[in-house]
Amino acid sequence: MNNQNAVLAKDNDGMPVLKFLAEAIKPKGTFFTPFNMISLPIMVLGFVIIVIRFIKGIGAVTNLTQEVPWGLWIGFDVVTGVAFAGGAYVITFMVYILNMKKYHSIVRVTVLNGFLAYVFYAGALLLDLGRPWNVINPIIGNSFGVSSILFLVAWHFLLYMIAMLIEFSPTIAEWIGNQRARKILSGMTLAAVIFGITLSTLHQSGLGALYLMASEKIHPLWYSEFIPILFFVSSIFAGLSMVIFEGSISQKVFDSQISEKNHRSHDGILHGLSKICTVTLFIYFFLQVLTFVHGKHWDLLNSPMGYWYLTEMIGFVLLPMGLFFYSYRKQNIFLIKLAALITMIGVIINRLNVTVVGFRWDAAVHYFPSWMEIVVTLTVLFVEIWIFRWIVTRLPVLRDSPSWVKKQSSKL
Amino acid sequence: MDGFTYINIFDTKGIEYLVIIGFLLLLIPFWRSLNKPLTVRAKVMSTLGVLTSNILKVPQGLFYSRNHTWTFLEKSGVASVGLDDLLLHITGQVHVNNLKVPGDKVRKGERIAEIAQNGGHLLIKSPISGEIQGVNKSLREGVGALNDDPYGGGWIYKIKPEKWTEETNSYFLANEATLWFKTELLRFKDFIAMSLNKYSPETAMVILQEGGELADNPLSGMPAEVWHDFQEHFLDKVS
Repeated sequence: MNNQNAVLAKDNDGMPVLKFLAEAIKPKGTFFTPFNMISLPIMVLGFVIIVIRFIKGIGAVTNLTQEVPWGLWIGFDVVTGVAFAGGAYVITFMVYILNMKKYHSIVRVTVLNGFLAYVFYAGALLLDLGRPWNVINPIIGNSFGVSSILFLVAWHFLLYMIAMLIEFSPTIAEWIGNQRARKILSGMTLAAVIFGITLSTLHQSGLGALYLMASEKIHPLWYSEFIPILFFVSSIFAGLSMVIFEGSISQKVFDSQISEKNHRSHDGILHGLSKICTVTLFIYFFLQVLTFVHGKHWDLLNSPMGYWYLTEMIGFVLLPMGLFFYSYRKQNIFLIKLAALITMIGVIINRLNVTVVGFRWDAAVHYFPSWMEIVVTLTVLFVEIWIFRWIVTRLPVLRDSPSWVKKQSSKL
Repeated sequence: MDGFTYINIFDTKGIEYLVIIGFLLLLIPFWRSLNKPLTVRAKVMSTLGVLTSNILKVPQGLFYSRNHTWTFLEKSGVASVGLDDLLLHITGQVHVNNLKVPGDKVRKGERIAEIAQNGGHLLIKSPISGEIQGVNKSLREGVGALNDDPYGGGWIYKIKPEKWTEETNSYFLANEATLWFKTELLRFKDFIAMSLNKYSPETAMVILQEGGELADNPLSGMPAEVWHDFQEHFLDKVS
């Protein structure tokens, strides 16, 4: 313990560990901001509802039934949230495998975003489990359940969270000022990245595969045996749109954290990402058309659900694709951000169509999330943003690494 | 009709094949138009070319001042004064307003002309002292000669010099001038990156993307603030 103390103390300008932690916990910046004022009451209410849920059970707070056992918490928090976290594996692939140095400045923030998304959205899964303590079973082998896709999803989530934590860990080492730990941890980055990408490609599609079991329950326009592929392809542009969206906000909110050089390169990064989004949306649209033709559901197009399907395809796939294409060619950064926003809405609509809207669409009583479900969903989202903000204002995520890191890297 | 069977395009997945073929055919124009050189850059490159020190005209026998003017003493004892090729390549086509008329006395460093383009304008300092003998009227009618023949038909003033030797001995001559233009061009690259970032970050990305060569006439179409900065850094501060 003494030894550990000495390392920390020495690297942190001689600050004792306890004082260092106390400094870290202290809030920074103004407290009475509009965001805080809106999010705080919702979070308090959300926590109360969560307590009620654990005392009285799921039925007390949600509109879920035996017929519709999965609702907003799975459809939005888990399925949509994980799609948006896809940016982490795309960006790390581009930077560490394809060596596209241009995007290096956004790796940390994207990985952090992805990590928190997994922790929180997968964590929200516990709210939805009748017996949440059983979540450990597929891990400890009490009942592996190897024939279930949930087995794959459970292990992948766990392993991927560890992989992302390793990818992010050099930042933590830089924060506490431990040079040796940073050296060891950054040596593990590449392995973690490769491992993480493998896991991502599998479980992004695995989430879609979960719904293969519900073939009878999902509207035929959204159900096909190709859901896993569609989920995987859409996670690429969903993740990148999130990177564009989140990056644009961070540029403003964390303005003081970002170096002049990174500020300047940001537009170039968005411009590059818009091209990738254009191509993946193009491929995705084609896959959707092919799936539709394969399903032979021509007659369903002329029905209310058919119009909704066409709205999704034209308004939230073709339109943003065209917009990305145009803004890439014209180098119009504003339109790139707008296209990213439309794409994100499109991804939310698509995931909810599969998991909520198109799910048991023919039931006599339709499922609609209760207000408490919505509040809990917002709570999860806000808690994540609060923690994200806490980390970004303290760790070298957006700002440059301390000066000793450069010396260390040049020695390697 | 033996041997003829009706083939249903739906049953045989014919439409799916057609969709795939259609996709592959669409992919070609899609990919090509996505990857065409970006419009703004392509336009700049094709119509205006690239600005490097190699394309600058630097004739022998002229004196080049640090204020981007040149002067040449003719046999008659009268000196021509004009703008150097680097300045004209940087600004592109400009309109000249003479601030002096024949008979006026000017001192070295005094402002004698203004060049303007759209919103931007620059003030030109005299490289020598003396009395104005003539003004190039042809520049008022068309600006072509200024950019096409900056050291001949593009002269701006004829001045009868007062202290020719004293005032021109620090000026660059041909070879020195070529070297000096090179360093000025480098200095300009730094300047434009800095100044543009200050006023127009999105344009900076286009003009200087990939850190390559400057497009010709880089100041053309720039905001007036950049012209102002240019005046300060390249025409005013130096003697």
